[in-house]
Amino acid sequence: MIEVDQVVKRFGAVTAVDGLSFTVRPGHVTGFLGPNGAGKTTTMRLILGLDAPTSGAARVNDQNYQDLIRPLHQVGALLDATALHPGRTAEAHLASIARSNGIGRRRVSEMLELTGLEAVASRRVKGFSLGMKQRLGIAAALLGDPPILMLDEPVNGLDTEGIAWIRQFLRALAADGRTVLVSSHLMSEMAQTADRLIVIGRGRLLADTTTAELISSSTRQDVLLRSPQAAELAELMTARGATVHREDDGALAVTGLDAPAIGDLAASRGIAVHALIPRTASLEDAYLDLTGESVDFRAVNPNTPEGASPEPARPSPEGAPAR
Amino acid sequence: MTAQVPVAVRARDVLFSEWIKLRSLRSTYWTLLVAVATPIGLSALVAVTLANAPGHGPPVDPLLPGVLSLEYAVLAVGVLGVLTFSAEFSTGLIRTTFTAVPCRRAVLAAKAAVLGAVTLAAGEVVAFVSFALVQAVLSGQHLGVPLSHPGVPGAVLADGLLLFVVAVMGLGLGAIVRHTAGGIAALVGLILLPAILALLRPPWGARFGRFTLVEAARQVTALHPATNLFAPAWSLLILLAWPALTLLTAALLITRRDI
Repeated sequence: MIEVDQVVKRFGAVTAVDGLSFTVRPGHVTGFLGPNGAGKTTTMRLILGLDAPTSGAARVNDQNYQDLIRPLHQVGALLDATALHPGRTAEAHLASIARSNGIGRRRVSEMLELTGLEAVASRRVKGFSLGMKQRLGIAAALLGDPPILMLDEPVNGLDTEGIAWIRQFLRALAADGRTVLVSSHLMSEMAQTADRLIVIGRGRLLADTTTAELISSSTRQDVLLRSPQAAELAELMTARGATVHREDDGALAVTGLDAPAIGDLAASRGIAVHALIPRTASLEDAYLDLTGESVDFRAVNPNTPEGASPEPARPSPEGAPAR
Repeated sequence: MTAQVPVAVRARDVLFSEWIKLRSLRSTYWTLLVAVATPIGLSALVAVTLANAPGHGPPVDPLLPGVLSLEYAVLAVGVLGVLTFSAEFSTGLIRTTFTAVPCRRAVLAAKAAVLGAVTLAAGEVVAFVSFALVQAVLSGQHLGVPLSHPGVPGAVLADGLLLFVVAVMGLGLGAIVRHTAGGIAALVGLILLPAILALLRPPWGARFGRFTLVEAARQVTALHPATNLFAPAWSLLILLAWPALTLLTAALLITRRDI
């Protein structure tokens, strides 16, 4: 179990983590989400005792990380897969880490085999691809067979094959009954692997919930409608209690009536309908809702005219500056 | 289960871990090759020059060729010492190291012990082989001294100690500065300190100079120690105080910093 308790971390004038509290419990893959610069990596470093919190405390299995004896048996961490000495072989790299925690050579060989690196075990890591380095990092994290795993952006920069491998691997580890905390700035990635989500922005907790709950909590469910007689149909729907928004391209976004009801209504009045699309907010939308206010460095979408009102039914971070 | 592991066992594991790190890099072997081969070759060269010097000047210190030729070796192992820490900082590997061993001072101690043992062994090999070679050359001109001569064993042992001293100092500086270039610059700066102190007004240059690494080293490795410097025993203490203070500073800083 990982507990983060009222942790504050300041770097000079910058507050990277701002009163963050959450608990990661065993038996789940927990996604640790937030935009770039939200404080995910700093939080992980605080948990591992690499950085000291300005105030508050992070504990692993009820202990400060600093006080753990042979910590690799309790927590396996992968912060930066490229943090390797280029001149050392994969095997020597793992052996040196293993030995520091009293782990034998056999376990090193097993981990090399598990991660598919046995063929390159005696090669210097200088020539390794990012994918191979990620595998090596995971092999190192698993050396102590820890019940808790913590991985920082493990799929960043990987090719499709590498991403598939990591995803599959994480699921297998969770199925094994381990606690897995995986950070990412990509909601879509987490949607496929995480059961629970901890979302942070600007160092503050935005959500600590299950993936399913996060989706259903989003209120954005509507029907997109296109019709040559849109104005007439809009009036009819409003009379029946629906809320209608006109989108930029002339389509209507309707809430309060479902698609069959709208279709029936249009048919009964002989109004042509060219498109009728029920829209459910994706996890991505729910995430953008949460973090939209907390993105540090926002890109301005050149297609959004200055002062144009953003489309309320389909919020996008690009539209936000106009708010 | 892990809570019962005795401290001694854990200390030994960290020591072996650092030993694996040191011997799994090619740069270690190259550095040690330079540190061993150049002084042996150079000391023989200097001895030949001395033996064939024309005229009869004042008698030279028969141990001088061994001392003079150590400079390359000292720089080589000093850089190795700096790299032992700075390479981990520059690659980010230090985070893995300190995640595996949260007791950072144990890592510092293990690195110092492993590097210290290797450089001490290499240093003594260099010192005694150089001595044998130099005396073989000088004895042809009846200028040499036997190992049994009073003061000689101590001076030759001290020669070998120099590699250890500079390597461990480099290691401490690497941990303090955390950058390879900065660490090497700091090390070279400390070694060259006498040259700067020599610029001070006459009595002061010598007064401070006695405390420098180079003057202390010169004093402990000479057959006939200078009279205007500290006695060899005090100089030996000064020589060992430099790496000790560097390590102490590193130990104080290493637990206070974010990595």
